[in-house]
Amino acid sequence: MLFVFSMSLLEGSWSNVVDIFTLDHTGHIQVHKDDYAKRPKIHKTIENPAVVETTLKNHEDVTGWAPRVYSSALAYGGNKTSIARIFGIDPELEPTVTRILQKVSAGQYFSAQPNADGYFPAMIGRGLANSLRLDVGDEIVLISSGADGSIANDIFIITAIIGNTTSFDRLGVFLPLTVAQEFLSIGGEVHEFALLARNKHDNEQLAVELQSLMPSLNVSPWQQIEATFYRTMQSDKQGNYFTMALIVFIVFIGVLNTVLMSVLERTKEFGVLKSIGCRPSELVKLIFIETVMLASISISVGLALILPVIVWFTEVGIKLDISVDMGGVVFDTMKGDLSAYVVFMPMGFMLLTAALISLPPGLRAARILPRVALGSH
Amino acid sequence: MKTVIETKNLVRKFGEAQTQVTALSNVSTHIEEGEFTAIIGPSGSGKTTLLQLIGGLDEPDSGDVFLSGTNIANMSGRQLSDFRRDHIGFIFQSYNLIPVLSAQENIEYIMLLQGIDEKDRKTRVQEMLALVGLEGLGDRRPAQLSGGQQQRVAVARAMASKPDIILADEPTANLDSTTGIALLDMMRDLNAQMNMTFVFSTHDQKIMDRADRLIHLEDGIVHLDEIRNS
Repeated sequence: MLFVFSMSLLEGSWSNVVDIFTLDHTGHIQVHKDDYAKRPKIHKTIENPAVVETTLKNHEDVTGWAPRVYSSALAYGGNKTSIARIFGIDPELEPTVTRILQKVSAGQYFSAQPNADGYFPAMIGRGLANSLRLDVGDEIVLISSGADGSIANDIFIITAIIGNTTSFDRLGVFLPLTVAQEFLSIGGEVHEFALLARNKHDNEQLAVELQSLMPSLNVSPWQQIEATFYRTMQSDKQGNYFTMALIVFIVFIGVLNTVLMSVLERTKEFGVLKSIGCRPSELVKLIFIETVMLASISISVGLALILPVIVWFTEVGIKLDISVDMGGVVFDTMKGDLSAYVVFMPMGFMLLTAALISLPPGLRAARILPRVALGSH
Repeated sequence: MKTVIETKNLVRKFGEAQTQVTALSNVSTHIEEGEFTAIIGPSGSGKTTLLQLIGGLDEPDSGDVFLSGTNIANMSGRQLSDFRRDHIGFIFQSYNLIPVLSAQENIEYIMLLQGIDEKDRKTRVQEMLALVGLEGLGDRRPAQLSGGQQQRVAVARAMASKPDIILADEPTANLDSTTGIALLDMMRDLNAQMNMTFVFSTHDQKIMDRADRLIHLEDGIVHLDEIRNS
């Protein structure tokens, strides 16, 4: 019961961390041209995004996708300047992949339409807004270089401030995709597609499948895109598994002791069974079946008791006293995870443990002389 | 008559060094098919040890036990279990019924080990219960039966597998004298009806009077082998 609950809590926490990470920007899978993910260059664009869009739209396991363009720029606000990173995003599609709508800390999420004066909107990161002392409604000037070598410069009107000073996009300038494409002179091409899988746990398998559908592009799961984070998370998981294994081992010794004691108490009964002709192997089988049956019953009862708790934990969770601000997205609820892995892995493990535990007492009972067994009390 | 039990120079010692006790010292005897034999002697004379060695429940320090001509020392653990299951029935002083099983389940269990099908098992259980006079009490657990009734279940269990030999270790010791004598008379009748070989230990004079043969044990030695009414 505790094992399943611990697994649910651990998997829930990791799942939450993965969500925080992937839904902030990365998505579950990304599509790039060549090695853009490792060595981004403005000219490494996906030349025919419509084909990718059609592929993603028609795939039943893709629940959301968003095209993006990137570039660096120099941003001006009044008499101050700062480096900035341009994110060209589709205003309608981007929220299907990330939590950008939740990250709007001031102003309003933009559209692709210019204002009455013909200026296009921009949303900027909190760090950039602080650095340039800009706020919603102010103008921001961006200077960059276009893919064709031309100088790109334009004025945009700030419609929203995104995230906080710790967000990865604190120095970002979000532009509508078409505006960014024109600003950077890359026509209708994009640098990236980010997408969400129907089941986030199957994203690596989906990436392989999509790669076969788009062999000329590079399809990578988030585990490859953010390999350092993924490795860190995996080591954290290993550490937790080790701790859990230690706890299970201690429980294992306790249960072994209980089974041994129970067999010791029943030594006389086993002596009777042996004296009436029960084979040693049948005694081992008897103790094995009894232990596994007891384990199955206790696992089933435990599961019936803990399952509603896990469902509640997964659906509702516990409100944290102190909320965690992850790049502008506030997480204030600790939740569990309910999956076949969470339920069946501990069950299978405990059954296997019970089966193993039954063997030493079983072998002891099988070896004992009937005279000795009958003489015990 | 055919010899069904033969012991040759059986020696069994317990304990180590200075605390060592010789329970049996060079016991050689033989018992014929259909005999109703009592092993008698005072406490500590080696009666239980001899029965346990004959039944393969213990291993001698030296000497041999032959059951129907087969030396049980040459049998593997599995062969010995199978031999006990098919050829020997045990009755213990303290009944030794399995407390979580009902009377009929206790009787049935040995037939389950023999691989007898359910229908035949159920039929034979009812026959055995009738034979020991416990009809209608089959559903009761041992704790719901008197001592005499429990020992009757033990007799029924010992006979259910249709063994050649029944070994009974002080079967009446925990019973009052009337119940004990009644049980012995029942065993005597079964011996007569089914020609099963009965070997039992006792130190009760009234009980030993019912035996055909008395093997007197004293300090682990056969002191006297007395054939009585046959």
